[in-house]
Amino acid sequence: MSSRQWLSSAMRQCKSQQPRAFSTAVPVAAGLRSIFGPKNNEFHGLLKEGFERGNPLSEAEQRQIMDQQAPRASIQDLRGREVTEAYVRQMPRRWRTGEVYAPKDLSPVEMKKFRQGKRPNKDVVDMFGFNPLDNYRNFSLISEFMTSMGRIKHSSETGLRPVNQRKMAKAIRRAIGMGLHPSVHKHPEILRRGRHGLPTSAIPTPTEARQNVL
Amino acid sequence: MASRSVSPGGALLRASRMFSLPNPIPPPVTDSSSGATSFSSNTATLDFPTHQVITTLSSARKQGDWGLKRPLPLKSTTRSTHPMLRVKAIDTIEQITDYTSATDHGMTLRKFQELGMPLTARRPAGGDTGDNSKGKQTATMNLPQKSVFEDELDVTDMHPDKRAKAIDNRWRFNGPWLAGMTEGKFQKWLEKEVRPRRPEFREFLRKKIAGELRAAAANEALDKGTEAPGPVGPSSVTEDQLIDYLRKLRHNNQALYDLVGQFLDLAPLIPPNISQLDLPAGFSNIEWRQMRNPYAEGGPPVTHPSAGISYLRTSMYMDNHPIYGPQKQHPSVVARIVKPRRQAQASPAKLGVAGFIVNTPLGDTKFNSKNNDLFDKIDPSVVGGPKVWVQPKRASVDANGRVVLTVDDAPAEARLVAQELLGLATCLGARRDEGQAGRPESASEIRQRYAAADAPAMSSIQNYGIQR
Repeated sequence: MSSRQWLSSAMRQCKSQQPRAFSTAVPVAAGLRSIFGPKNNEFHGLLKEGFERGNPLSEAEQRQIMDQQAPRASIQDLRGREVTEAYVRQMPRRWRTGEVYAPKDLSPVEMKKFRQGKRPNKDVVDMFGFNPLDNYRNFSLISEFMTSMGRIKHSSETGLRPVNQRKMAKAIRRAIGMGLHPSVHKHPEILRRGRHGLPTSAIPTPTEARQNVL
Repeated sequence: MASRSVSPGGALLRASRMFSLPNPIPPPVTDSSSGATSFSSNTATLDFPTHQVITTLSSARKQGDWGLKRPLPLKSTTRSTHPMLRVKAIDTIEQITDYTSATDHGMTLRKFQELGMPLTARRPAGGDTGDNSKGKQTATMNLPQKSVFEDELDVTDMHPDKRAKAIDNRWRFNGPWLAGMTEGKFQKWLEKEVRPRRPEFREFLRKKIAGELRAAAANEALDKGTEAPGPVGPSSVTEDQLIDYLRKLRHNNQALYDLVGQFLDLAPLIPPNISQLDLPAGFSNIEWRQMRNPYAEGGPPVTHPSAGISYLRTSMYMDNHPIYGPQKQHPSVVARIVKPRRQAQASPAKLGVAGFIVNTPLGDTKFNSKNNDLFDKIDPSVVGGPKVWVQPKRASVDANGRVVLTVDDAPAEARLVAQELLGLATCLGARRDEGQAGRPESASEIRQRYAAADAPAMSSIQNYGIQR
């Protein structure tokens, strides 16, 4: 995120500086060209040369022009990267090897569907066969079933069947009641992971004593 | 069972398309249905078709005649270049025929068959000789794979007693593939399917013990030179013998797995690494036998391992070019770059070949060279999206029924020949007409074009004096 911001701000600076580099010649010449019309190209060229020759550049200006000319390729590069980023953001589908695609699968309508998360239609507790009540100390599990405001998620969001939803809710209440999990926001360990860009799924479960030290 | 004789009208109906459409097969397991992700689309093209694709002749199509109960609307069925439909319901309560376009899977099949690829099964590590030494394992990696239609791999109908012997070659099993089960599913399976069969398993073991006892007795008799003893029935095995056998079995993990697998007809698994097992010290001397079934690593396929998309047995044939003669390589094909490479996230590009998503090749290929704008960037000014030429190598069907293609960099010659056939490149000065690019030519057209272009002398029948 920050690198993209940095890129865009760098590009904005480049854009704003570009006319300044030829501030003496180009805008005036362009103005003259519009006066004389596009046919008088020779005259225009002469004029431009004259303007440029007539005003010898100062050393600072020369350096500025040199700087502008050199990284032109990289500016192009940056622009291309920005365009790519913009397009990639519109393509949220994660393609798996062997999937079949037809032209319609590459369409924006289809891609949009992959951006909106849907309610899980599988009960993860049944799927993995664990008891939520035994996992009240597993803060990454607990925070999966809580909102960022500390509320227990509804079963329409979690996709758990009523029995498991009750067990999960009890585990959450238990974790909060024992003071193991904050009740108003996410767990600090999750926040720390998010800040460092680390996946929260990689947090080791605190079941083993040697792994308790993060 | 002999079919009942029916009236002529009835016979006509039975032979009609309306009655001959097969029932749909179960849909593929998608990420969302398996609970792996909540990001999915219910309208995305499925990994394999579940319904029969039907088509009709152009004259019948103009009248809406698809051989179904009622003519289909012309507005939505006559516009497509390729008439392909899938019928979800011949008749519904609203008295309509429920149909959609099936060009997605139909055209994918056509494109795949254009590649001329046989469907293969992975060769087992160590090759056919069963040599598991290291050099041999790597040597088989790039060998041409075995066709799924080989007689030894394509057996489904066999006597239940012979199933265990063919474990290395079968692809259909009655039991599940344990590595593909989630913990919850496994627990449920144990509860529902396995536990009730305990007495049956003891009986199975008794039979085994009886067989072993008989073999031992026969051996002894042979050594002593006496007459062979009579058969030992499973009922004569005592409870103590059975318990002793069970105790011994508990300390021999491979034998226990073999017997359980035989009893439940489990799909084969590759043995785990000792490091994966996370066993306490002292258990590190566990021995496993290598499993040589081609489906042990990824699970047995849901369909026949060819998935019915290709019936070729080998790719060991030569393509012929009307001018250049037999070709060393099969023709290269164009691949679409469906997803650009993201070097920051270390995610490679995804290619699309013949409508299937394909991984880029590993190793020293242009796909892995640094700073290649073609793979790293999306250029919206390229009409039709960025494409590269690749050489398809292998195709196989994985456990979920997806077609896994392996591609490589296109060799320069094969690519040039393929490009020339499409009119995208010019060799030997025989240029194609403008506007003809992209259309494949017939062999006679190519010969005529070369004759007209006054290309450098090439051998022909006339040169050899065979024909004037």
